[in-house]
Amino acid sequence: MVQEKKQQKWAMVVDVDRCIGCQACVVACQAENNIPLNTEEIFNQKRAIEWIRIERYWEGEYPNVKARFIPVLCQHCENAPCEPVCPVYATYHNSEGLNVQVYNRCVGTRFCQNNDPYAVRFFNFWEPVWPATLQNQLNPDVTVRSRGIMEKCTFCVQRIRRTTRTAKEQGRELKDGELAPACVQACPTSTLTFGDINDPKSKVAKLAKDKRHYRLLEKLGTEPNVIYLKKVDAHAKATSETH
Amino acid sequence: MQRPHLRRTSREHELSFAFPDTPAEAGKDILSRHLRLTSRFWKAFWVLLLLFGVGLLGLALRILGGFDDRAAWGYEAALFAYLLTTAQSAPLVSIAMRIVRNHWRRPLARLSEVFAVVGILNLLLFFPLLMTLPPQEGRKSMWFGWPGSPHIYDSLAIIFLVLCGLAILLFTSMPDMAVLREQASGRLKGIARRLSLGWVGSGREWKKLNLGLGYLGALYFILLIGVHALVSMDFAMSLVPGWIDSIFPAFHALSGLQSAVATIIFSMFLMRAIGGYREYFGLDQFWALSKLLLAFSLLWFYFWWSTFWVYWYGRAPSEVSVLKLIMFGPYAVPFFLSFGLNFVVPFGLMLWNVARRSIKWPTIAAASILVGTFFDRIRLYVSAFSVEDVTGHALESIPATHFPDLIDVLIYVGFFSGSILMYMVASKVVPIISMWEVKEWLRLRVVRTFLRTEVAVVAKPE
Amino acid sequence: MQERTAIPDSKINSDLLRGLLGTPMWWWVAVIVLALIVGAGVASVAITFNMGLGLWEIHRPIMWGIMIVNFVFWIGISHAGVMISAILRLSYAEWRRPVTRAAEILTVFSLMIAMVHPLIHAGRPWRLAYWFLPYDFPRGIWPSIRSPAVWDPSAIFTYLTGSSLFVLIALIPDMAVARDRTTGWRHYLYSVASLGFRGTPRQWKLQTIAGILLSGLLLPVFVSVHSIVSWDFATMVSVGGWHATIFAPYFVIGAVLSGVSAVVTVMALMRWLFHWEDYIRPEHFDALGRLLIAIAMGWLFFFVLEFFVAIYTKEPAELALREMQLFQWPYNVLFTIFIFAALIIPVPIWVSRKMRRNITVMFITSILVNVGMWLERFIIIIPSLARKQDLTFVWSTYHPSIFEISIVAASFALVGLLLLLFSKVFPLMPLFEQKEGQRFAAQIRVGRRSIPGVVREE
Repeated sequence: MVQEKKQQKWAMVVDVDRCIGCQACVVACQAENNIPLNTEEIFNQKRAIEWIRIERYWEGEYPNVKARFIPVLCQHCENAPCEPVCPVYATYHNSEGLNVQVYNRCVGTRFCQNNDPYAVRFFNFWEPVWPATLQNQLNPDVTVRSRGIMEKCTFCVQRIRRTTRTAKEQGRELKDGELAPACVQACPTSTLTFGDINDPKSKVAKLAKDKRHYRLLEKLGTEPNVIYLKKVDAHAKATSETH
Repeated sequence: MQRPHLRRTSREHELSFAFPDTPAEAGKDILSRHLRLTSRFWKAFWVLLLLFGVGLLGLALRILGGFDDRAAWGYEAALFAYLLTTAQSAPLVSIAMRIVRNHWRRPLARLSEVFAVVGILNLLLFFPLLMTLPPQEGRKSMWFGWPGSPHIYDSLAIIFLVLCGLAILLFTSMPDMAVLREQASGRLKGIARRLSLGWVGSGREWKKLNLGLGYLGALYFILLIGVHALVSMDFAMSLVPGWIDSIFPAFHALSGLQSAVATIIFSMFLMRAIGGYREYFGLDQFWALSKLLLAFSLLWFYFWWSTFWVYWYGRAPSEVSVLKLIMFGPYAVPFFLSFGLNFVVPFGLMLWNVARRSIKWPTIAAASILVGTFFDRIRLYVSAFSVEDVTGHALESIPATHFPDLIDVLIYVGFFSGSILMYMVASKVVPIISMWEVKEWLRLRVVRTFLRTEVAVVAKPE
Repeated sequence: MQERTAIPDSKINSDLLRGLLGTPMWWWVAVIVLALIVGAGVASVAITFNMGLGLWEIHRPIMWGIMIVNFVFWIGISHAGVMISAILRLSYAEWRRPVTRAAEILTVFSLMIAMVHPLIHAGRPWRLAYWFLPYDFPRGIWPSIRSPAVWDPSAIFTYLTGSSLFVLIALIPDMAVARDRTTGWRHYLYSVASLGFRGTPRQWKLQTIAGILLSGLLLPVFVSVHSIVSWDFATMVSVGGWHATIFAPYFVIGAVLSGVSAVVTVMALMRWLFHWEDYIRPEHFDALGRLLIAIAMGWLFFFVLEFFVAIYTKEPAELALREMQLFQWPYNVLFTIFIFAALIIPVPIWVSRKMRRNITVMFITSILVNVGMWLERFIIIIPSLARKQDLTFVWSTYHPSIFEISIVAASFALVGLLLLLFSKVFPLMPLFEQKEGQRFAAQIRVGRRSIPGVVREE
């Protein structure tokens, strides 16, 4: 029986239990996506652009302190609250499940960031400047944004497009795990898994059904395409709580 | 009543009211109408009393059935809210218009204040309802678990409201009771003597009366808005998990204001048609109230839309469930009826000046609102009372539509009859037209020529 | 209520046209000072356009700063005109007469200034055409009607059009008077503005009906404008502190409070600067004061309801937000100033009749109210963004930059400047309303007293 192949829906699974907070994903994302340099001054202005960030929370009191890391990136919500509020349609949801940002349409009202509960959208407050030595490092596949434009994680859409095109030229289907965004590629502990959640055989689809799975801020009903796997706490009492 | 020296300009001209134009004549006329007791009145009295008895029986049966099944009490809660919204809010029309110091309110002032007596009946419906409320653990409550809440505080609020309304009625009717004390006979004379509280009509007494009515009126207003907020939160909003609606108490109160105006308009119409006071409720009164009706109907839509729009746009699951429960799911029929009758019909009618400047059309709009509010209270309270699990963050499942049973019908018939009965009886003790206010009006108004026409000149003593 | 002395028409004309026909020294001083402040603001805007929004202090998650606070504030002030002019006109209140023109023009100017704020706070202002123009630029994409940011300009433009028409119609009879008493370019200007008004009964009837119709039509518009601005915030499901159903009427009634207070301020200034003691009398401030008490009480109801239901939710982020608003520096100070300035000090003062009739007191309390209401908008907008959701990692604070502050100051100066310039060309008080009021005043004998009365127009 020939089954009609379902439209791809890109999703990511983040296993919080594996995250060690090394920030390799943050650096890889910055390199891949031409993110402006976050100097100390910009960081102090709280305007550092990190399409994926590692949120660190401290639990407990000294000497029983634990650091908890959770990578937060654009959740590419099916029911994205950031999409309807843009006055110029600079952000919309495409058929592959990605929340897309159109840079040359953006007017910079920053409305989308206000209605983004995960605070994963970033605004270019300044004109990005790269010193001469770093200009050759810029990725030619990715737009360099000017000031006044919102930007955020795209699931490395340039890699998705490139790999899809290559597979089509070679006349084959995309293999699961063939393409990975920069953060997924860089992660040393396999915290991040990326793939087509509509493909039941993909790793992402299987992991998403894990009993530890949850989504961030579920009560808002945003239906994110990023699924988190709860940290296994060896010392915690055995309870059947899930988020 | 003949004024041949005045040219009749048009039917709607302000001068063309038909009631007497000297204070003495007005007093005599109102008194004679008040003292008239027809056999039709007595027939209505006995029928309504019988039906009220049936209603009391229904309530007793419902109480015997116990307080655990909250869903069964849903319709009774809706009836309580309905009487609060219509009859208990009605005195506000007189109070608010007195604060604004306009003159067309004078004939309908007492008509509006007498509705306070229906509050006594509403207390009968209120106390059993308190017993049906679930404990506050695990659910949101406006009292945050204070001891004695909500029973003590809600009871105090509503008892004070009823007492305040009765106090207003007592004080505004003092001068008229003094007149009755002199002019009436028999049992009424005795009642009037007691209710007039020794009124002699001195300058100081008048001053105190006006001041006291001002303060009591403000108190009634505050208490009424407060009771609307308490009832809407305790008996509806906090029974539905996930229903966080900051405008709902205000919507409930506004609906009360709209229904108050509608109640007055409809009562005025009845007083003209069967009450025997045709000349006193003229075009002026209907026209002015119809403008208020237009404003309140628009506001009804505005306040409803505030809830709907914020919930619908945000798409949060807990809020979408609430929309399903109270608007688009099992109670969609009463909701759409209420939307049509509380907004579409009155707004559509009162938009046109021709319709506003008549007697028939504001009455139709008012009747529409009274029926619409009926369905609106049903969709809000029966739905809230039918939620099984009141704890948690959001509604887990939407309960099915709960239909009324025979006991509910008995209670509705009985208490509507009882309300009308109490009003009728009160209206034969206290004159339904406020004699002293009408006389005051006639003293403050003078007709003068202005250029080539005659106009009424109105004194503003403040 | 009618404590006026009888004033002949010619004196009304010369008094109220005084502004047009001569320029006192204070006018020049005021214009120069205000122009300087406006200039500073314009310079800030220019520098910001040149260098980027990085100059301002906004940052994630507080992406909207005092520019938006100021926007909401000026939209609020713009409700003065309709409240005073339309509602009092429809209810035949006599004491509206000196106030209507000032209220209406304050509306128009504050709307114009409010409209500028979203433009200058956009990241790429040179692309604003994508947002504001109803045109599908090369890619066939229209502005997104799902966005509250597109409902805003629609509502505001509607209100601006309606209010401008309202002012123009009310100006017509006065323009005719001015036309008949001037020469040269002024005569030409007033001839055009008066549209050939000759004062015939038919023209008066049409002018009155137009005014009443516009009053009735503007009422729903004015309610809708601030409601739509409030839905910029209320529909944001991600910002817990904003996501409340009560925002629409709450903002509207706050706007009415702001607006009517602003009218009191302007009226007091008019009386002092133009020496209009015969026209702007204590009785007007008395009536406005009583109206303000009613509005303030209504506003208090909505304020308490909003705050109360927020706490009722018992959500951790919401409670943290309310705690921040009430107890954390600097919001605790701002909150205290706001509640005292907007409510606790003015309202008890207004209860006293003597205080209401004291124009200096009314002037000071009206300014206090607006200080308080500006802070109220600040307290609603900024802390809610600072405590958006449960992700505490991104919680932050905000302190406005000098650029933003200078732009806000310039907005106040610009309104004052525009009003002063307006007063040079058009009379700030309607002549025909004053003359009408003179004719409608009457005395009635009741018993031994003679009571002032007024002729009923209906």
